[in-house]
Amino acid sequence: MIQHFPVLAVMSLFLGAFLVEIFGTKREAVRNAITFVTFTLVLILLYALIKPVILEGRVISYWMGNWEPVAGYAIGIGYEVDALGLVFAIIAITAFWLSNLYSFGYMKGEHHLGHFYTLFMMLCGSIIGFCMTGDLFNMYIMVEIMTFSAVALTGFNTDKDGALEAALKYLVICSVGSGFILTGIALIYLQCHTLNIAQLATMLAGRLTPTTLMSFGLIVAGFGVKSFMVPFHTPLADAHAVAPSPISMVLSGVVTKAGVYGMIRCIYILFRAMDLTQMQILITTFGTVTMFLGVSMALKQHDFKRLLAFHSISQVGYILLAVGLGTTLGLTGGIFHAANHMLFKGLLFLAAGAVLHQTGGITDLDRLGGLSKKMPHTTICFLVGAAAISGIPPFNGFASKWLIYQAAYTKAIESGNFYYLIVTIAALTVSVMTLASFVKITQAVFFGQLSEANKDVTEAPKVMLVPMYIISALCLITGVGYKFFASYFVLPAVNSAVNVTNYIDVMMGDGYAAAAGVSNMAADNVMISSWSPVVYLILFVTVLAAACIVILASSGDRGRVVEVTDKDALKHSNFFSGEEPVYSHVSGSDMLWGYKHNFKAYYNIMDKIHTGRMTDYCSMVVIAAAVIIVFMFMFMR
Amino acid sequence: MMIYNYIACILLIVLGLYTVCTQKNLLKTIIGLGITDYGINLLIVSSGFNDGGSVPIYQMSDLLNGVSSQFFVDPVPQALTLTSIVIGACVNAMALAIVVMIKKKYGSINVDDVRRLKG
Repeated sequence: MIQHFPVLAVMSLFLGAFLVEIFGTKREAVRNAITFVTFTLVLILLYALIKPVILEGRVISYWMGNWEPVAGYAIGIGYEVDALGLVFAIIAITAFWLSNLYSFGYMKGEHHLGHFYTLFMMLCGSIIGFCMTGDLFNMYIMVEIMTFSAVALTGFNTDKDGALEAALKYLVICSVGSGFILTGIALIYLQCHTLNIAQLATMLAGRLTPTTLMSFGLIVAGFGVKSFMVPFHTPLADAHAVAPSPISMVLSGVVTKAGVYGMIRCIYILFRAMDLTQMQILITTFGTVTMFLGVSMALKQHDFKRLLAFHSISQVGYILLAVGLGTTLGLTGGIFHAANHMLFKGLLFLAAGAVLHQTGGITDLDRLGGLSKKMPHTTICFLVGAAAISGIPPFNGFASKWLIYQAAYTKAIESGNFYYLIVTIAALTVSVMTLASFVKITQAVFFGQLSEANKDVTEAPKVMLVPMYIISALCLITGVGYKFFASYFVLPAVNSAVNVTNYIDVMMGDGYAAAAGVSNMAADNVMISSWSPVVYLILFVTVLAAACIVILASSGDRGRVVEVTDKDALKHSNFFSGEEPVYSHVSGSDMLWGYKHNFKAYYNIMDKIHTGRMTDYCSMVVIAAAVIIVFMFMFMR
Repeated sequence: MMIYNYIACILLIVLGLYTVCTQKNLLKTIIGLGITDYGINLLIVSSGFNDGGSVPIYQMSDLLNGVSSQFFVDPVPQALTLTSIVIGACVNAMALAIVVMIKKKYGSINVDDVRRLKG
């Protein structure tokens, strides 16, 4: 019974997409009912798999049309669900379920909503199929469906400024990336004459011929495009700024994670090249550069959602860095951070969407301010998200970031390589810069003075607040119960990524892996360190309380604005000091002026790179792919 | 001679990528994407070809006993190519639709004019 669940989950989403298109274009109630029921059904189907797959460590295989392997050769298309795939599928469906709930409120009153939900469900179905398939070409198909629906959803508000442009850039650059993946798959097929991942894993591991090396480089570059690592990051920043907020949430929380998942599947299971030092250096370098460039670009943005977009690029850098370390601890940190990033970045985008929705479409940080008085619930949720992304305990960002620092530092000590020490320091620095950028955004949007234009802003509707509060609670729960979460949710995924033999045996028959001479990666014991977020929390609360007491104790008339009723009386007043209260809000662009001034040379270079021209971006993609391939041929043969 | 196929498909892929990277006209960019796709399709369909091979209709027992297992054309790449062609057509259709709307909105299909999102 349980082996049908993965296929049913994917099928019901695609079926739901068609049902919405047929019955839901006119009536809102029908449309919402179909989408909500389908997403809830899939949520239940996938959560039911947690017990057998993640907790008991089973691997579920399903051959389409019952075409089982004959004489050790896979001839059908197989679905194979191990803990790694299921963790990413659960990340996806959780994000989509919450985002769907939110979009009932956010998208209300827009036109063509039937098409919107069709594309939305196809996006979800393709990502879940991508995480669960055991066939390389099927993976490519799912990636393409994902790209199409993501592009169409990005440009959904066609009359919004820049939406079409962002959609076209996204489409062209991602198609080039898909081209890389497909060429890589074709080269693998030329060499091995099979497409089943389990069977390929027995053939490719440790045997990097020129053909497979070429395809390896192409596939790494292709999934790099899909996960938007630097220098492939350019379409993501544009897409986030113009996409509707529920879409921004899934774009950053799930679509980039799909790329990361493809990368993990590829380097850990398909080619099993993570024990090569050069491969580790390649992926960690990309991760570090992505991390740093993302956050430094975020510091200079003044569009709310574009700023968040650069942060999600930066956080993907963290994940890639951790994954590229090649240790179990690193992989734990990476997958944990992927799950956490979905939560807190989703929360931030939903809060940004609430601001955008209630202020009538303002995303420019210079025109916002003081909204905490008008939108208290949104402010609380945003602060939770900001604390989580900056790595402040007890929220979940702290737990996973700490694991990543620890993994990088342990790697530096174990391998004696100075390079990983630099990586660790970079990761710490980036975290500080993230905090700086969120101080800026919080001040510019929620605190400070309320501008005249936003006088009548009200709190977001309940249907939008509920998902935000759910995610806030999840951020806190996964942060406080990090040990439980890491051991029972993330560690099984890590184990399934390093224990390839089980994955192969379930798919191809018992003893297949042993016959092909495949052995597991040496799995060192993961020690999740003994720091306690509760202690940090108590320290934090104590310091905060002390600060509050000092401020409250010294509060006299300082900063009090005297209401003047009679303007003329003011002129003759003896005790007039200061001036009339004027609008003097410190806006987003002014906040980090000194920093931007000091690093002017760096930002000039960045401006030269981010020209907005599609040809330049495509050249960056092609050159980076060429660099990856050349690197592999030089150092990994 | 399969070697010409492989040379041709690599040339097509490189030519397509070159077009995407250098041409300023958005229509030409899309043509470049199409050329890349054709190159990849040629690569896939060539991978299954067997000179002088027959139709791939066999019993599994024939294959296992080695009866003329050398000489049949691999059917899987043809199916893959069909799928890939359909996807390529979708990319082109969607990109062209977006370009039409960009022309209406920006009044130009030159890359230098379509760059409002930058920095």
